Amino acid sequence: MTRAFFSGMRIHVKQFTVNAFDLSAVVLWPILYASIAYYLLDGKNDPELLLSASLGAAVMTMWALVVLGSSGALENQRWLGTLELLVAAPMPFAVALAPITIASGVVGAYSLVATLAWGALLFDVPLSIESPLAFAVAVPMSALAIGMLGLMTAATFVIYRAAFHLGVAMQYPVWIATGLLVPLSVLPAWVGPISWFLAPTWGFRAIRDAALGGPAWTDMGMCALLTVVYFAVAAVCLRVFENFARARATLRLT
Amino acid sequence: MNWLRVFFVGGLTSYRALFNWISPWVFFPVLIVYPLFQTLFFAYLGRFADVQSDEFFLVGNTFVAIAVTGFFGMGNAVANERRSQTLAPVLATPASRLALFLGRTLPSIATGFLVAAVSFGLGALILGVDVGGAELARLAVAVVVCSFACTAFGLCLGALGLRGRNVSLFADTISGCLLLASGANVPLERLPDWLRTLGSAVPLMHGIAASRKLAAGETLGDAGHLLLVEAAIGSIYLVLGLVLLRFFEHEGRRTATLETF
Repeated sequence: MTRAFFSGMRIHVKQFTVNAFDLSAVVLWPILYASIAYYLLDGKNDPELLLSASLGAAVMTMWALVVLGSSGALENQRWLGTLELLVAAPMPFAVALAPITIASGVVGAYSLVATLAWGALLFDVPLSIESPLAFAVAVPMSALAIGMLGLMTAATFVIYRAAFHLGVAMQYPVWIATGLLVPLSVLPAWVGPISWFLAPTWGFRAIRDAALGGPAWTDMGMCALLTVVYFAVAAVCLRVFENFARARATLRLT
Repeated sequence: MNWLRVFFVGGLTSYRALFNWISPWVFFPVLIVYPLFQTLFFAYLGRFADVQSDEFFLVGNTFVAIAVTGFFGMGNAVANERRSQTLAPVLATPASRLALFLGRTLPSIATGFLVAAVSFGLGALILGVDVGGAELARLAVAVVVCSFACTAFGLCLGALGLRGRNVSLFADTISGCLLLASGANVPLERLPDWLRTLGSAVPLMHGIAASRKLAAGETLGDAGHLLLVEAAIGSIYLVLGLVLLRFFEHEGRRTATLETF
């Protein structure tokens, strides 16, 4: 099982890093969102706000890649006719699926480099990291937690015929609810409690606090806790939805 | 008669099947949920930045939704023939290519209109934006013009699909750039000149500018010149798309690459 997991990770990281669609997403999209934020927030004349926007745009890309990666992978496997084989394999389906979602989060971490470089080169956004050690730990912790959230949502994708479409639709709601570019204080009050249960909230806070100064380790603790909870929920959901899809014989439907 | 059948019946069936929404539940997440939340995201970002009004972002993102529908819908309606392995049989038929491919543009334009109406309506409701009936009627004209222009651009992307493997990459990249360069989310005066020039070469920028004027109460006479430019851009891309389809079909036959991935 461990071998299957790490082989899966290696293969999917390789696949994502040579796929033009994923590479464009890693490089282009965070730059676009960060640029929109820079142009809109420029009037506030606050360098820390611009750095925070860069980091927020990078975490947005992490989530986008995770949710699109997991939903797209399921749909691709449907089209290729391999989804049934993966489900029928003796190892738990979660072990086949988790490498896809975590690898997406890991590749999404590249977007941090893209946004930080873009911001520094074109918009004079300062690149000072308050706590480099915390920052170096926060990035993979966030990628892992966001990847696990992707695994949990992917469980529901198993029963949905056009999983990729659902993945596309799930980007903005999570971006809004986790306060990545738009602070939660601007949103209706009921959004706040929702954000507590979403990994990008804590992942972003951890990275931002490590960069700008703040309780980054507490945020990372929340990431770790959510990672465990997501995995437990995903394992149960995958089992239930897998049985559901088997009973209805819908695994092969494209 | 057969030309019309291929144009209307074939066009609608192909569009629905190749854009992957034979079932409306597939349509719902991408064409309703996605644009609605995109509008909300940028409207709240605008509130936070103290830049422009909710109406600014509502109009801008409604038109981005039209672009996404046109680029992806029309692009996939041609390019997905390869993925579903029907490209060679379709091109082997004696059916008129004009009827075959232009027939897919009408459902795309209609979808663009529907998506714009729903996302604008829901967005206005949630954000509390009030637009009068007369303004809405004028906006509808702008939506049709923009849907045409974006569908025409989508036809060019679809034509590339006869040669390239991944049309979604082009559609995704260009629609992403339009979030920034079309003035949908950033006032044009804040953008550098080169970005504005880039944005003006593809559909949307003029349509959005016209729509903001119309939403503010100006007449079609005041904003008409912008819509004419948008329609002209769309017409150029329509002709270009048809030429590209012809060219890539010929090249695909010559190099036997119609079925390769």
